[in-house]
Amino acid sequence: KEPDSGLGIEEEVSVQKRVRVPNVKLDEERLLGPAGIPKLRRRAFGLKLKGKGHEFSDASRLLSFYQLWLDDLFPKARFLDALAMVEKAGHKKALVSARSEWINEGRPKAGNDDD
Amino acid sequence: MELGDGTTDIVHPEVRAHISSLVAALGGASTEDDGRYHLGDDALEVLRDIKRWIRFYDEKTNRMDVARCIHEANLIEGDLLPILATWPENATDSKYKSRIALSCFEIMVPLTWPMERDKERMTVNHHRHMPVLELAQVQYKRAIINFDEARILHAAVRTALPSLALPAGDRAARDQGIIKLVLFFLRNMAMIAPPPNVQYEGDETQISRSATIDAFSYQDIFLFLLTLASNMGEDFRTEDTSVMEIIFHLIKRVDIDKLFMTEQQVHKAKANELASLMNKESAMHKAYARNGPTRHNRFGTMIWVKREDGKMSSLSGQDVLGDASTRNLKMDNNKVFKPPRRTRKENKDERDLGPPAKLNARAAGQLRSFVEEFLDSGFNPLFSHVRKTIDREASHVMQYHRRQFFYLVAWFLEAERTRKKLKKGSSNKADDEVSSFSLVAGVLNQEMFITLNKAMHEAYEYKDWHELAAVMRCFTQILLTVQEMSESGREDDEEIAENVLSRLFYEESTHDTIANIIRTYKDQGFYYLDAATELVHHFLRILEAYSKQNADMQVRSRKRTRQKKNKEQQLQQGTEDGALAEENDDSANDEEATERTSKERKFDFQRFAARFSPQGVVDTFVKFTRFYRDMDDTQLKRVHRYFYRLAFKQEMSVMLFRVDIIHLLYNMIKGPEPLDKSSSMYKDWEELVKQILRKCFKKIEQRPELIIEMLFSKLQSTAFFLEYGYEKQTTSKK
Repeated sequence: KEPDSGLGIEEEVSVQKRVRVPNVKLDEERLLGPAGIPKLRRRAFGLKLKGKGHEFSDASRLLSFYQLWLDDLFPKARFLDALAMVEKAGHKKALVSARSEWINEGRPKAGNDDD
Repeated sequence: MELGDGTTDIVHPEVRAHISSLVAALGGASTEDDGRYHLGDDALEVLRDIKRWIRFYDEKTNRMDVARCIHEANLIEGDLLPILATWPENATDSKYKSRIALSCFEIMVPLTWPMERDKERMTVNHHRHMPVLELAQVQYKRAIINFDEARILHAAVRTALPSLALPAGDRAARDQGIIKLVLFFLRNMAMIAPPPNVQYEGDETQISRSATIDAFSYQDIFLFLLTLASNMGEDFRTEDTSVMEIIFHLIKRVDIDKLFMTEQQVHKAKANELASLMNKESAMHKAYARNGPTRHNRFGTMIWVKREDGKMSSLSGQDVLGDASTRNLKMDNNKVFKPPRRTRKENKDERDLGPPAKLNARAAGQLRSFVEEFLDSGFNPLFSHVRKTIDREASHVMQYHRRQFFYLVAWFLEAERTRKKLKKGSSNKADDEVSSFSLVAGVLNQEMFITLNKAMHEAYEYKDWHELAAVMRCFTQILLTVQEMSESGREDDEEIAENVLSRLFYEESTHDTIANIIRTYKDQGFYYLDAATELVHHFLRILEAYSKQNADMQVRSRKRTRQKKNKEQQLQQGTEDGALAEENDDSANDEEATERTSKERKFDFQRFAARFSPQGVVDTFVKFTRFYRDMDDTQLKRVHRYFYRLAFKQEMSVMLFRVDIIHLLYNMIKGPEPLDKSSSMYKDWEELVKQILRKCFKKIEQRPELIIEMLFSKLQSTAFFLEYGYEKQTTSKK
């Protein structure tokens, strides 16, 4: 047997396939999480719209409100792409039920009757 | 395949040898008398041999080797065209010469035949030869329509003259074959165009549509086509689809408005177009200059943007110093992530209509006179005949003929309306009998509507989007024509129009299909989208006007007939017999029934319009609106009317309150690439967007939960609640 050259060439290197880090997705879990829609609702209180006569500036404010929220929630996607993802996730069961709950909260009478 | 010198050839060398020896034996330019062409001794046999090679080698075994060799031997330009030139126009009695001419065309037709890329039948040979042969066909066309010594297209018609002169009953199969051959030759000439995605290296003007039309006019082909079209059904029967195909390839994508302008008007229109384009461009530059850097590109500005929760983001560049919206835009544009998308299936085997045809003044004039004469004489006979042919599913009808039929009907109806409008504008001559609606009556009868409805349902079911788009265009044009008829001021015409409209709106299944088409749009292309939105726009508009005028409008729906068969029967009798029956009939029963249905119908328009408020329809229109920068005024107006109707007539503005839609609307007015401010539609749009936004903010104040719902598509019930604040009272099903 030849002596080891000491360079470590002959040593076996383990070539192990590491599992790839899964892609981060903008799905219903993320949307229902604390940084998702609950945060949007909290922030909505800070949203001040000026009303009549300022339609376009209000629209710009509203859009940037959504954009910043989405940027915090899912920073890597662009605004319109992220909106499409959110819309898509909106058809999931968990979100559908959550949505109807939120609407029911706003409903004055029906909410009381249910409780 | 190795050649003698070691190089390889792409076709079998023996085939090449055979073909070149045949071509050489055909004849050649003589060295004596001015290089006139001299036929070889066995020229006729040689031509027949070449034909056999094409048929039994190329077509039987599904190769294209012979066609390739013929192209390389320059047979058409070097031999066939000079041979045809030696056939003088006044010598029709020489049997030998006319036979030679016929054989020439028998070879040229398969060589110029359109190549289809049918994946299942394509072999390696097709992939090898097709790109070359497609360009070769363009060369053939250039040579044929620009040949100086003889009128080749005219010669083609001349070869068919003896057969054409016979009465239809006496024609033998051979005669019919010759007529077909000539028509196919003309079809090929009209159809050949440089393949898409390939830069044609020759002179474009020699093969353009203008050149084709010029050649067709100069060589009297238009007269030939007119004769055939106006005698369709009498002397000609199975030639109808071929004639239609030729006309289709001549007029496809020709702009009707430009066609009917005089030369001065065209110049003016072009000048206006240029001016508006330059305005657009300068507006674009201005918008860029406003946001552009004012210092050099290494000036190195960097700013912090404070955000909620104590966060900061940094941005570089001086443009971000300006205002919040540019900052937001820049923050967004710095991202590079693109969500994974499924690549769209490209449908390459279906050639679409190609780019819009540009005609020069001369060709436009020639085509216009052809179109007018065709409308006056050939429209009704040809298209009624084709319709019958399609209905009985004759053996010579191909799938694409239906599409061409509907396209042509739509095109000519629009042309007729344009012509009428111009006539009215230029001179107020009353009672011009020539250009009345009877010229196009052949496509306004009940049989046509049945065909149209059937085609619409079938195309939708089989997902044949090209055909469906053509059918929708046709439907739209029929609606517009009939509407114009009802406003013509002539009693007869108005009565007929009334009748036609009631028949058009009679089938409820048609209403369903139209609503479904617009609701289920999914990447079928802009042309389809344009056709669908156009149809919906006019259908809604005209139906609304009609249902207002006619309170007792009736619709046949399947459910109702089953439930109240008796009543329906009575009703139908009532409509058929008209006023007489109503007067004579004593039954109060009948009257009551009529009243009830009329009430239902009056109510019906609201119900019908409500079908165009679901999210699917809104999304389709929004997708269409995304092209706002490339739209013309009529298209912009179409969308404008739809949004207006949705938000303010049907009270369903909630469907528009979605962040991406608001984003689009906002950007159309105030975004980085807004609508052209000088365009006539800008003001209307600005007002509409303003009103929608105002409504949106009011709603947000009323119902804070809209902030969440604005992210999503809404169901009808949710939308109703958001709009009105209470649940919709749904009537229990009977």
